[in-house]
Amino acid sequence: MMILERLLIEFLLNFATREELNAFLRSPQNTATLIGGLIAVSGALLGTFLLLRGMSLTSDAISHTVLLGIVVAFLLMTQVFGLEGDTSSPWLIAGASLAGVGTVLLTELLYRSGLVRQDAALGLAFPLLFAIAVILVSRFVDDVHLDEDAVLVGEIGLAWANTNSHCFENCESVTVTEDHPAARMTRQCVNCRDLGISPRDERAEFVEVCGNCGDYSPARAWSAGLLELEPALVFFPKSIAVTLVMTLLTLAFVLLFYKELKLTTFDGALAQALGFRPAVMNYSLMALVSLVAVGAFDAVGSILVIAFFIIPPAAAYLLTDRLALMLLLSPMVGAAGAFFGYDLARGQVFGILPVADGIGLINRAFGLELVEAWDSSISASMVLMIFMLFLLAWVFSPRYGLISTALRRANSRRRFADQVVLAHIHNHQGTPQAVSELRIATLHAHFRWTRRKMGRVLARLRALGLIRIVNGGALLTERGEARAQAFRKTMLQANNLPEDR
Amino acid sequence: MRASRSFSREDRRVWLVIGGIALISLLLIPLSQALFGLRFTYTVRVVALGGAILGFISGALGCFAVLRGESLLGDALSHAALPGVAIAFLLAGRELGALLIGAGIASWLSLRFVAALLATTRIKRDTALGIALASFFAAGIALLAYIQSIPDASQAGLDHFIFGQAAAIVESDVRLASGAGLVVLCALALFWKEIKLVAFDAEFAGANGFRTGMINTLLSTLIVVTIVLGLQLAGVILMVGMLIAPGIAARQWTDKLEQMVILAAVFGAFTGGAGAVISALDSDIPTGPMIIVVAFILVLLSLALAPGRGILWRQLRMRANRRAFAALNTRRDLYRYALAHGAADSPVPDEFIRGVGDRSAELGLRQLQGASQVALGDAGWQLSESGIELARRDLHNQRLWALYRRYAHELDLPSVTEDREAEIASLLPADAVAKLEAKLAERAEA
Repeated sequence: MMILERLLIEFLLNFATREELNAFLRSPQNTATLIGGLIAVSGALLGTFLLLRGMSLTSDAISHTVLLGIVVAFLLMTQVFGLEGDTSSPWLIAGASLAGVGTVLLTELLYRSGLVRQDAALGLAFPLLFAIAVILVSRFVDDVHLDEDAVLVGEIGLAWANTNSHCFENCESVTVTEDHPAARMTRQCVNCRDLGISPRDERAEFVEVCGNCGDYSPARAWSAGLLELEPALVFFPKSIAVTLVMTLLTLAFVLLFYKELKLTTFDGALAQALGFRPAVMNYSLMALVSLVAVGAFDAVGSILVIAFFIIPPAAAYLLTDRLALMLLLSPMVGAAGAFFGYDLARGQVFGILPVADGIGLINRAFGLELVEAWDSSISASMVLMIFMLFLLAWVFSPRYGLISTALRRANSRRRFADQVVLAHIHNHQGTPQAVSELRIATLHAHFRWTRRKMGRVLARLRALGLIRIVNGGALLTERGEARAQAFRKTMLQANNLPEDR
Repeated sequence: MRASRSFSREDRRVWLVIGGIALISLLLIPLSQALFGLRFTYTVRVVALGGAILGFISGALGCFAVLRGESLLGDALSHAALPGVAIAFLLAGRELGALLIGAGIASWLSLRFVAALLATTRIKRDTALGIALASFFAAGIALLAYIQSIPDASQAGLDHFIFGQAAAIVESDVRLASGAGLVVLCALALFWKEIKLVAFDAEFAGANGFRTGMINTLLSTLIVVTIVLGLQLAGVILMVGMLIAPGIAARQWTDKLEQMVILAAVFGAFTGGAGAVISALDSDIPTGPMIIVVAFILVLLSLALAPGRGILWRQLRMRANRRAFAALNTRRDLYRYALAHGAADSPVPDEFIRGVGDRSAELGLRQLQGASQVALGDAGWQLSESGIELARRDLHNQRLWALYRRYAHELDLPSVTEDREAEIASLLPADAVAKLEAKLAERAEA
């Protein structure tokens, strides 16, 4: 990770000075948006395939189990191997990814027994694994990194503060030993406690202890005042590197195996017959979902992460029918949601509407006294923003949106009304019943329509020049006759009937 | 599900299980006192009672979620309750009744949201549930964070709805839960017939003039109420387990809805009570997760042990079948070889029989030896008298079946499904068998 971060920083230093980079990364907003955006992109890419495979809720199960994986790996690290507990350690990530794949296996095992339905198997497996994780946490872990808040919302707002330092110039590591001029030596009583005496007692024996000995990295050495020249440091938030690697892996997976993923998603049987391995693809996908869920755990917690998997692909699904386009749109939706989500958490909707005004409005309307200052969870706000984008897609999508569907329905209702009236006139004009059948005043009764509806239809048909009114009766114009004939032909063809006239 | 009224053996078995679990639950208190030295303080009693009552209700209602294939609906509904809790807190303060009503309204709204999404788009059910779950939950978390940022609000305890906080349950809560639970169960009993019909065949119900839409809404509303009541105990994340696990366990034991619902309720009460009692043993074990673990153990036991369809019985049955099949094949091989080399009791070399049957021959020989149908002599395996008799009858039976297949039409025999494992004489009338015997004799002469 460190080497990777260093390479990345060296690359970035081509475009910006060190001070600019540090200032950029020191801003909580930039770091949070960057991390949220990266999680959103990788989640949306994988979520697209989950959605198309009808496995959206598998991400729910996996994200819950990942907690168990993290807890177990954490306990193993700290209690069995005696390592330092660190939630972004690669071992933890690997263990938790395995746990994610394990959930899928457990679900399939339950389902394959033939005694439990698929949804019930999922609904059984993940509460259990989550429950075990919660029990383990409250029983054995007293670490701040694994408390309930971290599980729910993550710490994306604090990500900027948890950094690795990288030194580029004047890098001098300092090792303070007892004879170093800066060493702080103190006297410590070695037998006071055993004998139960005060250090002033005659019997007390003392040793010299060094209070600040040890190895100092350049950053720590500078802040401890051990260096004369300021080292050129870049403080790089740890989470960025983790999420970046995760996103690049996801991207590489989707690009490299695009064909295989597409085939196994849409036609598993064909893929099998052609010699691809749908099961291998499936489990690789699940492993990556687990990986992203673990990587996102620090930032957004184990539950909200499923929003990044499910909602952006659903929005993209409403906008397009093409897989490639969907893979392009859903990361965009997710990243945009992450971008605007930070503003929402700080009280701005899309950076223009203050939330405080809305609360004030509610206060005035209902006579309440809610606090108007809005300061909320960043990760939850990102999800809400993604959801808002989904709602926009639902309403305004050109093909599947509520508005376009309603317009299309109204349009086809109108066209149908026009056509049946034309057909009615076409059938009856020139027959003996024409006078009674085609009289404008009573025409609506033949269709059981209201007088107003018939009035609207007739007015439209006249305006289009398809009918004319003669002596209070409706007759087709030449264009109207042609239109009625064309309609008749298409109806006959649609019902596979022969032309009879 | 059969509609017979009489008390069959299976019925007795199910009632026995129900009675047994109920007995164990009643003995739970003295047992845990005797074995673990647990002291039943007032708090423990209240929590255990509350757990049992809430488990009873969610077990009964959860059956319908399981049967309709909507297990994960419970997950979405319980997560979606969170913003309702937060808004109710903002409006009415820490009043449990108000919080529960808020939770109910929010999860009911999420239900409508999912229905609207399904009706107007091509998004599939699981995705719609995921969207509702994630967005409502995020709204709840955002509101909770907002509440926490208010300086002097006493928001302590609101996040108990997320993980459940059984220890905070007091007597008035239990009273409220039992009152509301009674209403839910009464509604279930009152509309039993309609709900049963809609749960199994909504189209048939609709065609018979039942208002399926209304009954569906009623059932969903009952499930929402159940979830909201259970939130205090299990929390929004684990509620789904508490809802469906007893139903899944009960489903293994019976095919009748009445029994399933009662059994699930008893299972639920047991898990609720037992989870509370176990977590009282150690203050570091949270109650909600413990209840889920107990429920899952019950499910595993049911999956393994349920008579008839349990995994254990299935394995035993498969093993017995494998052995019987191996014995049959080995006996046939021995008999054919012996006949071809002289008489039926001539010895068969060990190498031959193992070479033909491999490991299944080993298994078969062991079975036959156990039944003393075969014995290992100096020259090889030798069929005993009973073995020869069985093998002869088997061969005869196979020959008759072969003739039946070929001449059934010609001899004008009644048509039955060919089952070579069965005695043909037990499936065909005597005169038909006689015709086949005659044919066999005729062919033997030719």
